[in-house]
Amino acid sequence: MQRLIAILGSRWTRLVLVALVLLSIQTTLLNELRPFGVMAQVLVLFVASAGVLYGSEIGAIAGFVVGLMYDAVLTTPLGSTALVFALVGAAAGGLPYFVREPTWWSRVAVVVVMSALGEVLFPIVQAVIGYEGWVQPRMFFVALIVALVNVILAPVVLLLTRWTLKESLGG
Amino acid sequence: MATYSGKRKRAVVLLALTTVMLITLDIRGGGASSGVRSVFGSVFRPVEGVARVVTRPVSNAWYGITNYEDVVDENELLREKVAQQEGAAVAAAASVRLAQELLALNGLPTLAGINSVTAQVIGDSPSNFSQTVEINQGSENGIRVGMPVLNAAGLVGKVTRVYDDRSIIMLITDPAYALSVKIVKLPEEPEPAIPGEAVPTTTTTTTTLPAPTTSFIAGFTPGTTTIPDQVTRPTVQVPSLTVPVGNVDSVRETGVLEGRGPTRLPIVRFIDSSQRFGRVQVGSPIVTSGGSLSLAPPDIVVGTVSRINERLGTAGPVLEVSLVADLTNLSFVRILLYQPVTEQNGTPSSSVAP
Repeated sequence: MQRLIAILGSRWTRLVLVALVLLSIQTTLLNELRPFGVMAQVLVLFVASAGVLYGSEIGAIAGFVVGLMYDAVLTTPLGSTALVFALVGAAAGGLPYFVREPTWWSRVAVVVVMSALGEVLFPIVQAVIGYEGWVQPRMFFVALIVALVNVILAPVVLLLTRWTLKESLGG
Repeated sequence: MATYSGKRKRAVVLLALTTVMLITLDIRGGGASSGVRSVFGSVFRPVEGVARVVTRPVSNAWYGITNYEDVVDENELLREKVAQQEGAAVAAAASVRLAQELLALNGLPTLAGINSVTAQVIGDSPSNFSQTVEINQGSENGIRVGMPVLNAAGLVGKVTRVYDDRSIIMLITDPAYALSVKIVKLPEEPEPAIPGEAVPTTTTTTTTLPAPTTSFIAGFTPGTTTIPDQVTRPTVQVPSLTVPVGNVDSVRETGVLEGRGPTRLPIVRFIDSSQRFGRVQVGSPIVTSGGSLSLAPPDIVVGTVSRINERLGTAGPVLEVSLVADLTNLSFVRILLYQPVTEQNGTPSSSVAP
């Protein structure tokens, strides 16, 4: 029983549950609200936030888990989004190397930039795998719109990520 | 710090290697990835259903704010079009019936002989880099991977993933989409007489034939998409499947249609440069070529040639195709229960089979 409570209270269980909710928002609400024909990407924002708040290792693991869940509902090869998200999470964790004491706005700036980079990286990874055709100028427009929307979403997602990946809920 | 850094690097490298292994396994077509997707789909579907209900008011408000004027304009336009089409539809139905009888008399295949399933589009691709839609019919209704999908105007795409009660359709515009097509030659216009040229003065007895009365209906496909009264899942009754004869000689492939994403028109490449066809013209209709290996039966309307990019050498021209089906506004589609010989053994899960 004690073990079960420990599992349920672990950060990884919370990660899967929160990712499931975010994925459902991604496939329903964000799938329909498409500003300028582009879908906002809350999942990549979440992964970048994990990296910024908890470092590269946690960011990469969170990216892998969330990306794998996203892959399961896409038609792209299983693992391609997981690879992109893991790289985004790991790269976002590099913030402390550049900023000694990150402020809230520097974190927002980094997660926004990293989520935009993730949107550019995704078609590139697809092209490397063999799914050519998505590497075109439109991907920069997509990245720009995703970045602009994520400026609005970032503060909320950062708070959510902080709670989700906290080591212990009591602390 | 060094230990932590090394551990971190190892973790990232391990994850990257795992993803590469997963990608390889999926591309090689193992059943494991389909199983993972199926299990995850079973868990995720109820959560998504709840999210859809909860977020519906927000979506509706968004549409109300952003699309109201467009909807009003579109409604007026559609009313006018419906009035125009009502008359044409009667004539078209008669023409189609006549054409089908002629094709049947000559032993030629027609779409009317292929069973189909009507489905409602229930979702778009949840990604900026994938051109797919989800429909509310699946393997329970006889749908298999690779089957062609149409709407009332023409070809829309193909089935790429099938679950029990839903399927994923890859649209023609997806870069992974490819299909053999043929270009229908437009009737050649009579060459104008050259001024000053002597006209032959032979006396002949001519018989005037009545001018043909058939009219060309742009984008019309034999067979209409029937919209069910209730859009909930219909009674499960799997219709029979049409399979082309295996040993029939392949129809000459005039070209290969390839998607290029949502913002660019699909193209037709590898066009046979033989002179017997003549020159391709802008406006020429493009239809599926069919054949025992093609994923679609012959003569499904795809679109028209909108631009010809000539290339040097023997490469042949590249044609840009203006699609007849409006892929941005799909509500109901028809899945032809048609499978080529190559797809009969099992249901491959690959999403890139051309």
